[in-house]
Amino acid sequence: MITPSVSNLRHRPAAVPVVLCLASLFMAGCGRTQPASFRLNTVHATKTTAPEGDLERSWSSWSRERQQQVATILEAMFGTPDDPVALAESGLDAAKLQLAAGPVRSDIVGRKNGLYREHCSHCHGISGDGMGPTAAFLNPYPRDYRPGKFKFKSTWRDAKPTNADLVRVLHQGIAGTSMPSFALLAPSQVDALAEYVRYLSIRGETEAALFTYAEQELSGDDQLPTTREFLIDEVLAPIVEKWRAAEDAEIPIAAVPAGVDFSRPGDDPANRESVARGRALFHGDGGCVKCHGVTALGDGQANDYDDWNKAIVEASKEVAGGLEASRETSTSDMSPDRLAEYRTRAEWLHAFAEVLEGDALRPRMIPPRNLRQGVYRGGRRPLDLYRRLYTGINGAPMPGVGPSGPGGKGSVSDAEIWHIVNYIRSLPYEFDGELGADRPMVARDRF
Amino acid sequence: MMTSSRLVVALALSALAVAAGCGPQRTSAPVADAAAAATIREGLVAASSAPSVAGEDVVAGSGWASLKGRFVFAGDPGQPAALMIDKDTEVCGKVAKLFDRSLRVDAATKGLADVVVFVRKSSRVKNPVSETPLVFDQKNCEFLSPVFVARVGQPLDIRNSDPVGHNTNIDGTSFNQLIPAGQGTTYKPDTEMGVPKAVTCNIHPWMKAYMILRKDGYVAVSATDGTFEIADLPAGEPLEFQVWHARSTGPSGAVGLQRPDLNWTPKGRFQVTLQADESKDLGTLEVPAGAIGT
Repeated sequence: MITPSVSNLRHRPAAVPVVLCLASLFMAGCGRTQPASFRLNTVHATKTTAPEGDLERSWSSWSRERQQQVATILEAMFGTPDDPVALAESGLDAAKLQLAAGPVRSDIVGRKNGLYREHCSHCHGISGDGMGPTAAFLNPYPRDYRPGKFKFKSTWRDAKPTNADLVRVLHQGIAGTSMPSFALLAPSQVDALAEYVRYLSIRGETEAALFTYAEQELSGDDQLPTTREFLIDEVLAPIVEKWRAAEDAEIPIAAVPAGVDFSRPGDDPANRESVARGRALFHGDGGCVKCHGVTALGDGQANDYDDWNKAIVEASKEVAGGLEASRETSTSDMSPDRLAEYRTRAEWLHAFAEVLEGDALRPRMIPPRNLRQGVYRGGRRPLDLYRRLYTGINGAPMPGVGPSGPGGKGSVSDAEIWHIVNYIRSLPYEFDGELGADRPMVARDRF
Repeated sequence: MMTSSRLVVALALSALAVAAGCGPQRTSAPVADAAAAATIREGLVAASSAPSVAGEDVVAGSGWASLKGRFVFAGDPGQPAALMIDKDTEVCGKVAKLFDRSLRVDAATKGLADVVVFVRKSSRVKNPVSETPLVFDQKNCEFLSPVFVARVGQPLDIRNSDPVGHNTNIDGTSFNQLIPAGQGTTYKPDTEMGVPKAVTCNIHPWMKAYMILRKDGYVAVSATDGTFEIADLPAGEPLEFQVWHARSTGPSGAVGLQRPDLNWTPKGRFQVTLQADESKDLGTLEVPAGAIGT
């Protein structure tokens, strides 16, 4: 007998090779390694390909074709993760991208390529979608670069971060999150990574612009134009211009008022008057107390989402509402046309539900920061806190108390922002006995 | 020597490991066609010597006209839900109880309020942008304008008439500033919106309004009785109008009507060419029950 039966196995060492075979199959993983490829933003793609009226064929085949068109255009404009393309109009530096892109490798002693995949992609993902393999286990989630929004920067709220802002975050990491410091990398490497983040962001915004254009301007089987005029002048140029303009969009920094001495602790007698003014503003015109709470433990208005999570929450609501309505609709007396429309819509809703389940992280609320802990994500220097207060935090619910743009009027004066900074810096040390001596001010156990 | 139970366990574990695959199931997104991408790229990097031949739209016609109509809702709007007020309860909702305003239908006339009608593209604009600030106010923890219309470049006077602080967060503009109790600020919007965007207050999550900023200002919002009118429209050119409602079930808020005579599309658009000094009345525009989520 050539093939041993199972009953024979128990008596023969031949069982060992069988198990080894299975084990090797397991270790080999899931097939050959494919070259890395960018993933479409399927949430936005599905949202913008909602069926409208009569399609000549199934929604899924129509939507796939549109999505493939966008993928192809993006590859033409930006290349692949292994071979990025920097069109002249993108303002991106091809040499820096080469250093950051592709698999980790070294062709010259002492120089390493593939920095993004070595250091970043396991959290931020190959496509910069903030959905790398580790992303789901982190809180907060890694940043999704594709909407082109960044929190910790020196510019006006609606402006992009400067190069120095991106480099600062890479260099220092983000305290209180999983983002580590990359201070041990050479400055040229950090620079290359900052360029690659810009590349992924510009690519992501271009993708969103293409899908939105298609939703707004195309119907049926219309194809996206692939001309220079459209792709470069109309789509890419405005995005690139915003990045270029960031370097001139820094907010003004007011002089530190007399009586404020940041070289001393926030609650030092030298700062006492300023801290008292800051405290009054915190509870008054600054409005900080509304979300950060009277205790500053971050226990005010606390059931909100940031823009990245809100997009998923809102899409999920739309889908859930649509599915419920479609379940409640009786199809028995529908005309054939209405029935076809109903079925197409149901197909889209189910596909969207699947995409939200598989291609998005479960939305999480963003709690206001506990200011008693002394952990400041955007940096702990007084200047960093001043910037967070002045413009608020882009993408987060945190509003600004400074003017919304050049020439605007702030909720408080620029000098007053420094007093609030001073008060915030005193919060981890402040103790006025109101909470009771048995309760720690730094409520680390408050979750 | 391996016993049968061990073998079964080993086989089961191996099978499980293989079946478990490689992590969570992501959908199969379409991928690029590399050959087609290369061709497109050639066109993009080719010397940009060829000047753009796409000329500006030829301006046709002269004079101005107006368009009006009335939206009615064919479905049953139900009762508006009371909002849950759980912040600053000593102020919010004290003047009057607060209700969800996203679907306002006049009980007597069935008129549908807060439908936004705007021109997608026009070649001429009659009136320059006003320098007079438009007031956008909030009181009783409610935005006073459910749907607010302004032109790009026109200053907005964003006020807070409440004795508590609010932050005004205008989606699509990056304006999110704290407005202290009884104070205000000015804001000059510089970006046009393709569709109305939500205005919220993060401190009081029930607060919601919509805002649309357009360059040409050819926007109307239907009144409580469902009527709307846009004046000073350029005559003699085909105008495409977009129709939007917050609770629409169409794509991006588009309101689809069965009006083939106006070329009304599922994207919520219709086309009209107006004659000089014409005052066109579209009459009653019935919004079917399914077009608005109730």
